[in-house]
Amino acid sequence: MKISLNWLKKYVTIPAEVSNEDLIRLIGARLVEVEGVIDETHKYDNIYVVKVEKAEKIPETHLTLCQVNDGGAESIQVVCGAPNVREGMLAAWIKPGAIVPASVNEDAPFVIGKRKMLGKYESNGMLAGADELDFGDDHSGIVEIDPEMAKPGDLLADIFELNDLILEIENKSLTHRPDCFGIIGFSREVHGILEISEPFPFVRGLELEKSHTLDSRENRPTGEPLGVVKNIDFSNSNLKIILTKENGSDICQRYTAVVLEKHGELKKKYLTWQDTILSKSGMKPISPIVDATNYLMLLTGQPLHAFDYDKFIAVGKSETPIIKVRLAKNGEKLTLLDDTEIELNENDIVITSNDVPVALAGAMGGKSTEITEDTKNIILESATFSLYNLRKTQMSHGIFTEAITRFTKGQPPYQTLDVALSCAGMLSDGFEVTSLADEYPNPEKDIVVKITTVEINALLGTSYNDELIARTLKNVGFKVDQDGDSLVVTAPKWRTDIHIMEDIIEEVGRLLGYDNIIPTLPLHLSAEKNKLFEIKRMIRNELASLGANEVLTYSFVSERLLEKADLDIRNSYKIVNSISPDLQLVRQSLIPSLLDKTYINEKLPVDEFAIFEMNKVYQKAWGLNDEKVPVERNELGFIVAERKNDETAFYKAKKYVKKLFDEFNIAVTFSPLKNNEVISKPFETKRAAEIRLRDDPEVLVGVVGEFKNSVRNDFKLAKYLAGFEINLDIVLEKYGKTKILRFGKRKYEDLTVTTSKTYDETLAEVEEKYPDAIIHPLSIYQAEGQDTKNISFRIESISK
Amino acid sequence: MDVLEKLKAKLKDINVRAGKIRELPVDERAEFGKKINAEREAVLAEIADAERKMLDTEVEPIDVTAWSGVNEKLPEFYSVEMGSKHPLMTELDRVVDIYQMMGFDVVESRQLDDEYHMFDSLNFAKEHPARDGYDTFRTEEGLIPPAHTSTMQHRVLKAYKSRLDEGKAIAVVVPGRVFRNEDVDATHEHTFYQCEGVYVSETCTMGDMLGILREFFEKYYEQKLNIRTQPGYFPFTEPSLEFLIEKPKTLGGKKGDFLEMLGCGMIHPNVLKMAGIDPTKYHGFAWGGGIDRLVMLRYGLNDVRDFESGNLNFLREF
Repeated sequence: MKISLNWLKKYVTIPAEVSNEDLIRLIGARLVEVEGVIDETHKYDNIYVVKVEKAEKIPETHLTLCQVNDGGAESIQVVCGAPNVREGMLAAWIKPGAIVPASVNEDAPFVIGKRKMLGKYESNGMLAGADELDFGDDHSGIVEIDPEMAKPGDLLADIFELNDLILEIENKSLTHRPDCFGIIGFSREVHGILEISEPFPFVRGLELEKSHTLDSRENRPTGEPLGVVKNIDFSNSNLKIILTKENGSDICQRYTAVVLEKHGELKKKYLTWQDTILSKSGMKPISPIVDATNYLMLLTGQPLHAFDYDKFIAVGKSETPIIKVRLAKNGEKLTLLDDTEIELNENDIVITSNDVPVALAGAMGGKSTEITEDTKNIILESATFSLYNLRKTQMSHGIFTEAITRFTKGQPPYQTLDVALSCAGMLSDGFEVTSLADEYPNPEKDIVVKITTVEINALLGTSYNDELIARTLKNVGFKVDQDGDSLVVTAPKWRTDIHIMEDIIEEVGRLLGYDNIIPTLPLHLSAEKNKLFEIKRMIRNELASLGANEVLTYSFVSERLLEKADLDIRNSYKIVNSISPDLQLVRQSLIPSLLDKTYINEKLPVDEFAIFEMNKVYQKAWGLNDEKVPVERNELGFIVAERKNDETAFYKAKKYVKKLFDEFNIAVTFSPLKNNEVISKPFETKRAAEIRLRDDPEVLVGVVGEFKNSVRNDFKLAKYLAGFEINLDIVLEKYGKTKILRFGKRKYEDLTVTTSKTYDETLAEVEEKYPDAIIHPLSIYQAEGQDTKNISFRIESISK
Repeated sequence: MDVLEKLKAKLKDINVRAGKIRELPVDERAEFGKKINAEREAVLAEIADAERKMLDTEVEPIDVTAWSGVNEKLPEFYSVEMGSKHPLMTELDRVVDIYQMMGFDVVESRQLDDEYHMFDSLNFAKEHPARDGYDTFRTEEGLIPPAHTSTMQHRVLKAYKSRLDEGKAIAVVVPGRVFRNEDVDATHEHTFYQCEGVYVSETCTMGDMLGILREFFEKYYEQKLNIRTQPGYFPFTEPSLEFLIEKPKTLGGKKGDFLEMLGCGMIHPNVLKMAGIDPTKYHGFAWGGGIDRLVMLRYGLNDVRDFESGNLNFLREF
């Protein structure tokens, strides 16, 4: 949302000592997140109001040769291409050297110059159209300025207060504050922040003694001067409004409809204040009726919609309008104003004419009742709808208009009638009110919250007194009564977000400034170490010190990646709204992601490296835990890869994993791999080993090995490639035993056994001979053509 | 004949038959072409599969119980100079250390959770538009890869509730990986890290929250900092605010250059109630903020995408 500071200042008197900078900082600190400030203080520099004194058509062209007066003694010659330029009008003139406002944000802003047209007509600067001035898209002619507002030589920026700062507001931080989505509501907060007790502005559509707006402040002299509707006879309405309920609750809390009959022409002649406000707020002037509804929405937060009265009753085949608000039926169709035909569903609220849908409530009007230039009579709608239904509508039809953005915050129903009549007032040149109906079956009760000063201070850590708290709340429209030690706080009608004590505490804390709360520290406590974090840190330090590189890879992978690693895609949870097919499945194992990163690094190229990651994996096969959420597992994945090495990569990976288990002080065995676990799938059974607990061989802790040739081939990796994946949850469970320390003198001897058995079988024989020694592998030698190998060990004996 | 040869013969036969398409009447050719192409595709897929399997049959077995290959040297570890720790993980460890020094337990966040923990237990009304602000991913089963570490808040409150009965406070931080359905650019990632904090006691105040947060950031950046807040909105805290720090001069900051570091607030009574904690007796505060940007600021990094790139030219610098 965009907020013009000049517009805001129309509704709240900012004390002279508060600079714009202070004001913006205070709004940011006490109301809402200000994402940015657009500086437009020089956007309209050197643009003047001029009088067109002479306008002569240049023969055989669409151009007009004009003499304009900028208040000086001499006329200035300008060539103008617009069809509406004529003698006597006031126009906006961009002086040579000035920048066209619509281009200020472009890389190369367009600087107007002095030039010769058609080789002989000198043209100084330009007469500007609405589009060039950045007031919408209208390029049909130049803008005309009301002579009652300005005289030649005036700066355009002065007339329309265009030297402005525009605040860009983060809407998310106002999700609970529908009232602040209009400048009036926004200004009420500024009253509170600056402790200004002057009356709030409001819109009042009726010239009656008592406004229908329920205010907590009395006798307000101010009001938005929008034109006023006189003498309405509520009893003489030919409108019928039917509101339906869904499961006992209102889908439409209040529906106000006003019928306007055309009695004259609404001619859009001059550039208006409203045009500039719409543009500064990020909208565009379109036509007088649409502009009036949009302007009021920006002013009050209440969206309006206009139907063509005659089309409305024609669609419903009724003599007078029967407006029924109901839920749509599945499959019902509606063509919207933007010509798209949508299929409605049972969550959508529709406005119907005698039960025929004519608008998607809160979101967009229908084509069948569209306002056009020929429209004679109008039904103006000012209503509120269930934000829950509208949110679903927004999602299912992808409609994100300014109106629905406001409705889904939950607009309060208190002002629908006043806003509708204000709109009628704005259109009173061309239309008069002939009928009105206001259906509001269940008006809200006052929200009253009882609270004590002690409760407020206990939560905030402050020492505010009753008087300060009451004044602060009153400044934003709350009514505060004292009842013994308690404050009885009544929320104003526009505050739909107030429900509980904490909401009042938020008001007090926020308006008096959270930054005024003194930071303190509660008593120190002692904490428990998180063992998983400890283990991960130990692994990180260990592997990094052994030359390996820690990586992080995405938790989501593609089908193709899993298939390349021989994993079953059906065992992965599938994301239905993934960003791309590359990120569609929740990963079951870290290995496929690491192989993918191995490829990237071999390509760089890095000749030799080891990468590892510690992260969580999920497999559908593991099912759900006690909390009914998927069982998760912490794993460590590791890959070693070299681009130029003919040796057996397996043994390098094994050396790394063994080192880790030594550090964990967990005894494990390495045995030939049986390919029956998901974790084993990418590994080559003839060149990989299972890692099992020595004390509990049933438990598979992980797998280490080289990968299937097909897997390696699919990932396009060099031959020297191996890795491991281990289950850290098991490590966590078994880790922490005290290491047996062995002190004493060391004696080393080497031993070579000629054998055709495996290493482990041979080792077992050696261990039998040297029961107390530590036995280290040395080498394995096999001469060409021989069946037996020479396995050498180093025996480390420890004597006391 | 082995499988592969048979398949190749079959393919040859298909190609021969395909060549005879010209002999057919014109109106039958399209139909025939479609059929023969489908056959060809099927056989090609079978051939690819067979070739893939073949790759895996001619493999030399090794002795996996040994520590080196036959006639190969014992393998060696790489040198320490080649090694590196991931900057996000080292920094996450530092973050956790600081909070532990301040008396906070550590619980790691999940990476796949449900609607209840992500939203319901945090006082998000069903179908409330506030849920849309989180751009969540969903699985076919309706599970959610969490969009914030607050997904652990309800669990933490329940698990540590007994502390309150002992007259102690609940003080826990929850680091973890979170996910948002967002377009990726230099400052946005769909996958990033957050750290959540939860504190509940009989006497704690918003002043305590601001004190703890300031203390943390001053310890993390190793200097005194100016802090600032602005009002925010989260359904699970009331009041809710955003916490900002002035960018330190040593990290290239200018005066008045405030950075949003996290969202925080006093825990909403409904959230406490849902975890079985009496909100009339206890209150608390919670916060959550991104780790990635903390780290980027500390190291002067400007592309968040580097973190999950796996690119060693980047990672080996750490």
